[in-house]
Amino acid sequence: MDITRAKIRELRKALDGKEIGAEELCGEYFKKIKVTDPKLLSYITVTEDKAKEMAAAAQKLIDEGKSSALTGIPLAIKDNICVEGVRTTCSSKMLENFVPPYNATVIEKLNAEGYVLLGKTSMDEFAMGGSNQTSAFAKTKNPYDTERVPGGSSGGSAAAVSASLAPAALGSDTGGSIRQPSAFCGVTGIKPTYGRVSRYGLVAFASSLDQIGPICSDARDCAVMLNAICGQDAHDATSARVGVPDFTAKLGQPVKGMKIAMPKEFFSDDIDNDVKAAVENAAKSLEAQGAELVECSIPGLKYAIPAYYLIACAEAASNLSRFDGIKYGFRGEGRTFEELIRDSRSKGFGEEVKRRILLGNYALSSGYFDAYYKKALALKQEIIKEYSEVFELADVILTPTAPTPAYKIGAQDNDPVKMYMADICTVTVNIATLPGISTTCGYTAEGLPIGMSIIGKRFDEQTILQCADAFEQGFEPVAPKL
Amino acid sequence: MAIDTNTIRHLCELSKLDYDENGLEKVRDEMSDIIDLMDTIKSFDLTYDDTKDNNSIKFSETREDAALPSFPTEKLLANAENTDGCYVVPKVVE
Repeated sequence: MDITRAKIRELRKALDGKEIGAEELCGEYFKKIKVTDPKLLSYITVTEDKAKEMAAAAQKLIDEGKSSALTGIPLAIKDNICVEGVRTTCSSKMLENFVPPYNATVIEKLNAEGYVLLGKTSMDEFAMGGSNQTSAFAKTKNPYDTERVPGGSSGGSAAAVSASLAPAALGSDTGGSIRQPSAFCGVTGIKPTYGRVSRYGLVAFASSLDQIGPICSDARDCAVMLNAICGQDAHDATSARVGVPDFTAKLGQPVKGMKIAMPKEFFSDDIDNDVKAAVENAAKSLEAQGAELVECSIPGLKYAIPAYYLIACAEAASNLSRFDGIKYGFRGEGRTFEELIRDSRSKGFGEEVKRRILLGNYALSSGYFDAYYKKALALKQEIIKEYSEVFELADVILTPTAPTPAYKIGAQDNDPVKMYMADICTVTVNIATLPGISTTCGYTAEGLPIGMSIIGKRFDEQTILQCADAFEQGFEPVAPKL
Repeated sequence: MAIDTNTIRHLCELSKLDYDENGLEKVRDEMSDIIDLMDTIKSFDLTYDDTKDNNSIKFSETREDAALPSFPTEKLLANAENTDGCYVVPKVVE
């Protein structure tokens, strides 16, 4: 058996049962990364030496009978999550040589479990994009077809898990950046409720929307990862004061009687026919297990893209104003303070990041604030209301994760509007601060994965994990041929 | 065109970004298309009510206002260029 294809819970048994040691296990992944990753470019930084030290420490815990769920489990981390002493680039020239002086809270939590760091994964620059092609360093390719994008912005994390270059990874999701690459790469990714996971140490894109979450090979592993990373954090004022349940508790429970809403706007003519058919078949499969399908409507979806981009870019323009070339990051040239800042920002940021900063400042500037930014906030309130009304009728909502399967590299490079419109299926979940999980529900005739999203009530990750797991138990995934 | 060159120049000032003339024209055209998309929001006729926001979420409690140990200076300066125990910038005052 190829151990790198095992799930986290299978690795746990193998490690605790002394079938394999923690150092040997991470060594197997590094061997595979060396052979396969040059074709995919999913990692920016591989941390082999650090991993050996971490694996030795994990093995000690295992030998002493003190292991927990992730002790000795090798994981990949998106390159916008700070790991002390390990280069964290956000796939940007701006942070090419940035080495964080502290750990993100999620990394502290994983350290407490005794995880092993495989490396930092590529992403769209500052998480701005849905293709991984805005990365300044590693433009990741899709494991199912290396001429296609892996999705983004957590495309490196999704591709690494899909190609068994890590059993699981952390990503971040501002408008679909965990779920869409999970769909394109045939893996399972969950964006938790806003406030469920601390954002401390996550390089900020849009602070009211960003959320860290896991990308794994199935919902059961996502539940294990969530158990490790969730919880209130004094370092993040927006982490929620709510109890953290055992996310594995409802896995395996039948979906009989579960009400699943399918908003008609998510199945319009703008959605690829193969995608619609696969999601509708998945709905029938859940119905056959006893779930009840409910028709409903989210009319606000019509305005979701401008609302999302106005809010996200306004926040990004503010968040990215910290990059001045002085305290850290790329330093340009200039005779004066002003020239130094302008040169650092103009040469350090890529084109898409600059466009979003310009859009954000446009929405926030005098004369436009009410017409754009405040209107977007009104839309946010309307979308929250519409989701609340649907959740009076249903337990979860089922939608496609993306309008199309993975597209060819370069297909959207010169068309930002087309790129933004491709986020239509995912952005409202962030706007409404809800949890959403994407899992594979079919394949195109060309063998490309198709993802469906299950959206839950705020802080009800357990039910969407239960629903995704119920579908996955009757679905045969196809691994990429690399 | 939704946005003209002068507006783009103003946004570049706000954003501390420089473009050459060709770059400025290109980004003006791209931003015009993007603003056209954003303009669709204007047909939505509800108004933002700031009293409705975040009422149901209980965020972190603020901690006691007490001085706690912070990062050592050398650790924070490790990512800055030209450090001499402080951040170094071009001369500001003549």
